[in-house]
Amino acid sequence: MIKRLGTGLAVMWAAATASYLALLLAPGDTVDILVGEGADTPEIRAEIIAEWGLDRPEAVQYLDYLWRLLHGDLGRSYQLDRGVGEILASQAGPTAQLTLAAAAIGVTLAGVIAVATAGRGRWLRGAASAAELVSVSVPPFLIGILLLSVFSFTLGWFPVSGAAGPQALVLPALALGLPIAGVLGQVLRGGLERALEQPFAVTARARGLTERALVARHALRHALLPAVTLAGWFTGALLGGAVITEVLFGRPGLGQIAMQAVTGRDMPVVMAVVLLSAAVYVTISTLLDLSYRAIDPRIGG
Amino acid sequence: MRRLVVLALLLTACGAQPVQQAASTSLTWAIETQPITLNPHLWAQNKARLLVFNQFDALVSRAEDGSFQPWLATSWKVSDDELTYTFELRDDVTFHDGTTFDAAAVKANLDQFRESGYNPAVAAIQLRAFDKAEVVSPTTVKITLKEPDGLFLDFLASPLAGQVSPKSLREAKDVRFGGPDLVGTGPFILDRYVQGQEIHYRRNPAYKWPPAGAGHQGPAHLSEITYRFLPEAAVRVGALTSGQVQVIEGVPATEVTLIEQDPGLTLTTALNSGTAFSYYFNTDHAPFDDQRVRQAFREAVDLDAVLKAVYQGTATRAWSVVGKASPFYDASLERTFGGDAAKANALLDEAGWKQRDAEGFRVKAGKRLTVRSVSAAPYVRDRRDVLAQAIQAQVKQSAGIDFQVKIVDQGTAQKAVDDNAYEIFENSRGDSDVGAALNLILPRDGAINRTRFTDPQVERWLGQASATSDQAKRKELYTKVQRAVVTEKAIVFPIYVPADQIAAQKSVQGLGFDPGSGTPASAYDVRIGT
Repeated sequence: MIKRLGTGLAVMWAAATASYLALLLAPGDTVDILVGEGADTPEIRAEIIAEWGLDRPEAVQYLDYLWRLLHGDLGRSYQLDRGVGEILASQAGPTAQLTLAAAAIGVTLAGVIAVATAGRGRWLRGAASAAELVSVSVPPFLIGILLLSVFSFTLGWFPVSGAAGPQALVLPALALGLPIAGVLGQVLRGGLERALEQPFAVTARARGLTERALVARHALRHALLPAVTLAGWFTGALLGGAVITEVLFGRPGLGQIAMQAVTGRDMPVVMAVVLLSAAVYVTISTLLDLSYRAIDPRIGG
Repeated sequence: MRRLVVLALLLTACGAQPVQQAASTSLTWAIETQPITLNPHLWAQNKARLLVFNQFDALVSRAEDGSFQPWLATSWKVSDDELTYTFELRDDVTFHDGTTFDAAAVKANLDQFRESGYNPAVAAIQLRAFDKAEVVSPTTVKITLKEPDGLFLDFLASPLAGQVSPKSLREAKDVRFGGPDLVGTGPFILDRYVQGQEIHYRRNPAYKWPPAGAGHQGPAHLSEITYRFLPEAAVRVGALTSGQVQVIEGVPATEVTLIEQDPGLTLTTALNSGTAFSYYFNTDHAPFDDQRVRQAFREAVDLDAVLKAVYQGTATRAWSVVGKASPFYDASLERTFGGDAAKANALLDEAGWKQRDAEGFRVKAGKRLTVRSVSAAPYVRDRRDVLAQAIQAQVKQSAGIDFQVKIVDQGTAQKAVDDNAYEIFENSRGDSDVGAALNLILPRDGAINRTRFTDPQVERWLGQASATSDQAKRKELYTKVQRAVVTEKAIVFPIYVPADQIAAQKSVQGLGFDPGSGTPASAYDVRIGT
């Protein structure tokens, strides 16, 4: 447990250091980079130099930066003229909604397809496998455009844009969730099929358990472990995919803010988004690591 | 399993309800660019110009011929020395917060720019000559300048001079960003802004002060208008063809045919004001310190063919650094250069670039004829990267010029400028008065003089043109400037005139372009016909 926390902190520190190094090493003057396309006056420059301590030795600057981060001070966007923490806070809700919905869709679809097709006829498995491959290999941008052209532009079932209601969430969540369903589905089915060949499965069948009950009560637990191991990838895919999905669907959120910050050279916001992603990643993978024990009691504490 | 069923039910439930249709007097318009600020004083994005005059009005407006028309000011007098402007104001105008628009409000708006750090760029450039504003009577305001400024009325007609209620300037929660509590006198009242999603206005029922030349009088036709932010062009077009939005702006060349073929849609285009998109030659060092090489580069490109290939016939070729939509455009420059490969080769031979190396590029004294263009990725739009590649292929094939195109981050691009490590600078500007752009590009100390070209004569003409508001006189001076830089010195290669497009459902009427800027106009005259 303590080791897990230590690793998490180390990852956070590495992310903070990497984004700080990127700021220092980027071509051009650091003050220029921090100002971005914001108003550039001697007063604002002085403010930046004071906030980032740019008149002090680099090692001190760096420690000071870490110190501020530890206090939850993410700095200020000179372009939007607002605190970075405030900007992120106002945009976190829609992104949380989108990524959770996408995760739910991904996990549910993967589970349903894996349970329905594991150990079944060659045709059914082939079809599911092909669908999974397509959803994994087609870029999320294209999936989004396809979903939009069919369900929004042609059939008119769902609106194209906005975070107006649950209807507007369906297509973006699908676009983001499908690639996850694809990978997760493959892994789950592979795990299920391996579990169904194990001796315990034979015993269970001998006790008269139906195939469906065997899968649901026993095999699924075995298949879950490799799937949970994918959680890191899963979180990354959701956060990265959110950038494309939010811009494509014209949804508010962190991805859209990140995109704007990158094109507008709003470095304080970019750095904060990197840190926030790292924090989410660390939290989720720690939680899932802990959940291993619940799934597989053989892994002791 | 139960969760699955719920999800399935949810999906069917959503599917059963068609997307809600908007009522007949409300309209949804999908736009490409989100505003960085809603405070007109800090406005800086031409792509967000169409929002400003929904919420705010200015003292004067600009007509197509470049002249100025009454708006919140009913008339004005300029003293003979062009140092004093006296404006007579309408006496029946109120801000959205109920306060009265009067001479004190005009003064408060101008004085706001004096706040340190408020908008330093405007204070240093547009309001450089501004001395003071005095309230003569509630409906008369006198503005004094330190020196004559031919661009002062252009500033007063721009979004930057949108009149903001002085009360809200004092009380708004976030003055720099603006929002529903920073109010103007415009035909629409901002009531909702959702970052990353949309901006929503409702009609101002009291409105009866449109600019001269507006399509109608009284309040706006639409009771509500929503601007959705859809940065992806294909999604905007899809949203329009499926009827989810009624109007879009920003139609790329690749989507134009699709819209033109749809009988239910209309497409209108207007050329932007300001300068044409041009390649500026760095005249400071070889090879473009030699005028013959500059001319040869222009002759080596068959620009008509390139533009047709890249923009599918939707681009308007430029012949001058000044855009075709500007009243100062010199049409006599048309067909005076370009597209003569034989001439290009003769000029390069004459300039001493006679040998060719193994790859077919011209060489002089062991050095290849290489020219570099370095641009910052955030500013590369309108397929200008593809355009550069097409030009690169042409100059290589027809004249043996090695044109290297680099698209880099902002810091690296700035470094190339600082180090003088470029030969071509790509730029277009959307200023409503092209004189403002030329003042930045051509003088020796101009903020974006990337040609490193200096000519005292040209600077004199620019100075004279900036110091007078006599449009005929300015046209004469700017014609001289254009002939000097395009023909006589050949420091610029004008390429195309940037344009804006609006596509809409046939039922939407009254859409148009701001005559001053060539960008889409506000929604005041827009209505839904039957």
